[in-house]
Amino acid sequence: MKVDIQDYCIRCGLCEDLYPVLFHLNIEDDKIDLKYEGDIPAELEDMAREARRDCAIAAIFLS
Amino acid sequence: MKTITTDIAIMGSGLAGLTAAVKAAEAGAGVAVFEKRPFQGGGVSNTPMMTLAVRDDQEYKDKAFKVHMEYTNYSADAAVVRSWIDNSSHIPEFINGLGIDFLHVMKFDLETLGQLPGYSAGFPKGMHLGDYYFLKGQGKGHGAAVICKRMADTVEKLGGELYFSCPVKGLIREGDKVVGLVATDKDGEELRVSAKAVVIASGGFSDNPGMIKEFTGFTYTNNNCDDGGNVLFNTFPGARMTGDGQRAVWEIGGAQGSMGINGHNLVPGPGIIGHTPWIMKNQMRIIQEQPYLWVNQRGERFIDEGISNNHMAMGTSIARQPDKCSYIVFDEATKRHMEQEGLEYIYFIFPAEKLTDVSGQFEHLIDVVGNKHAFVADTVEDLCAETGIDAAGLTRTLDAYNDYCDKGHDDQFAKDPAFLRPVREPKFYALRCFCGGYQALGGIKVNGKCQVVDDDYRPIKGLYAAGDCAAGEIWGNPPTGGIGVTTICFSQGFITGREAVEYAKSL
Repeated sequence: MKVDIQDYCIRCGLCEDLYPVLFHLNIEDDKIDLKYEGDIPAELEDMAREARRDCAIAAIFLS
Repeated sequence: MKTITTDIAIMGSGLAGLTAAVKAAEAGAGVAVFEKRPFQGGGVSNTPMMTLAVRDDQEYKDKAFKVHMEYTNYSADAAVVRSWIDNSSHIPEFINGLGIDFLHVMKFDLETLGQLPGYSAGFPKGMHLGDYYFLKGQGKGHGAAVICKRMADTVEKLGGELYFSCPVKGLIREGDKVVGLVATDKDGEELRVSAKAVVIASGGFSDNPGMIKEFTGFTYTNNNCDDGGNVLFNTFPGARMTGDGQRAVWEIGGAQGSMGINGHNLVPGPGIIGHTPWIMKNQMRIIQEQPYLWVNQRGERFIDEGISNNHMAMGTSIARQPDKCSYIVFDEATKRHMEQEGLEYIYFIFPAEKLTDVSGQFEHLIDVVGNKHAFVADTVEDLCAETGIDAAGLTRTLDAYNDYCDKGHDDQFAKDPAFLRPVREPKFYALRCFCGGYQALGGIKVNGKCQVVDDDYRPIKGLYAAGDCAAGEIWGNPPTGGIGVTTICFSQGFITGREAVEYAKSL
């Protein structure tokens, strides 16, 4: 499973507050850094699904 | 250099700018929105959970207007306040029109205006002005993020253009009117925009340390206050709210309006502040709002602590203390009280509850996280040594305060006796609170039609402003409210969208 952030993400940082294992709000570069650029570990897939549900603007996509 | 021609050019894609864009586009105008970040939303897109509407009833609107003006001690601009209040009644219909339902609506009778805490128009008790509409959010976020996205989509559907990663560098003024703006496009090339009218909706200046210092007297700091600063912003750190619109307006002769920070009591991080303050990482954020003993660096009380969950008043009060900081101090008995009987109150969006393992949370914060603003000591003297509070001053304060607690009356500040809890039993706990900022706002002086005015209060033709950058005219200085600035953004968005189109049609 891969995690992708859509361009319309508002950089609120909610994803990092809830799931710091997967996301980091990079304030300096004004973007969300993904902790895993490729496939995420299988044990984090449920967490990624929760993150997708929790995102304030539905900007987290999973594939 | 590239060129664009449009009817209405809008600087900023937050609630105010996009509301103006939607209204102008609905009226048939050509609209171009310029946003320096690569997405819509501005500085408020995810924070607001609700908005305020003053219902469309003359008696109701009259009373709301008078309550607000009296609360600001008439430091607000009456014409701007009146137009905000009168237009706010359209907010619910507008949001519903975007296809968004409300999570919850709280309607209040006329008699309650001026009597209740006014959340969406500022926290202070007595600043209650109307009905509250809770915005339906997505996931664990608040609702304004979705509204902004929906408005951006609406603008495009109506034929408007959104230019992201496109910062505005200045305004073009010819004679007595503004005729466009200059921006830089996403490729770094200059973009010259010819427009019949320009709306400035670029937000506040929370991310501009120079403006914070110059116009508010605070020293901007990071979220841990470990750089000597004394004001920290916990909503949207790094939101790029740098006062670009204010400076662009001033450069072409616009007057400087009222400016300030909407403060609140806030213990710095690490370990307390998250990017999203409604997702609490621990219970320290609740403790810092409790009405127990508060002192300044001299060890002196400075306020009736019963209002310590009134963020605006507390922030203003802390800002007037030495070093612009304060401490909430309590002992083991009060700690047990919070754990076994529960808190006195909690800011109402969080459920009231009993705290768990306060000692353990302090220990974790101090020893594991490394927070420098939480303290535990076996004696008052040790607490003073750790915090830097003047020991003689705190000792005198405790002698008097404990006496008030024993007799059940606060001779000094008349605090509610229910909140009088002595500080005697070791251990002793303290949290250092600085002035947190929800936002820094204001700077552009507008009139009741949201026209930007010059130093002689004459409107600059073709130039309008809405939202945080113009809200100083409504909140006064020091600001009496502002976290609920959504109501102003929507309302002034209606006004600027409408007025700009009427002006454009008149040319």
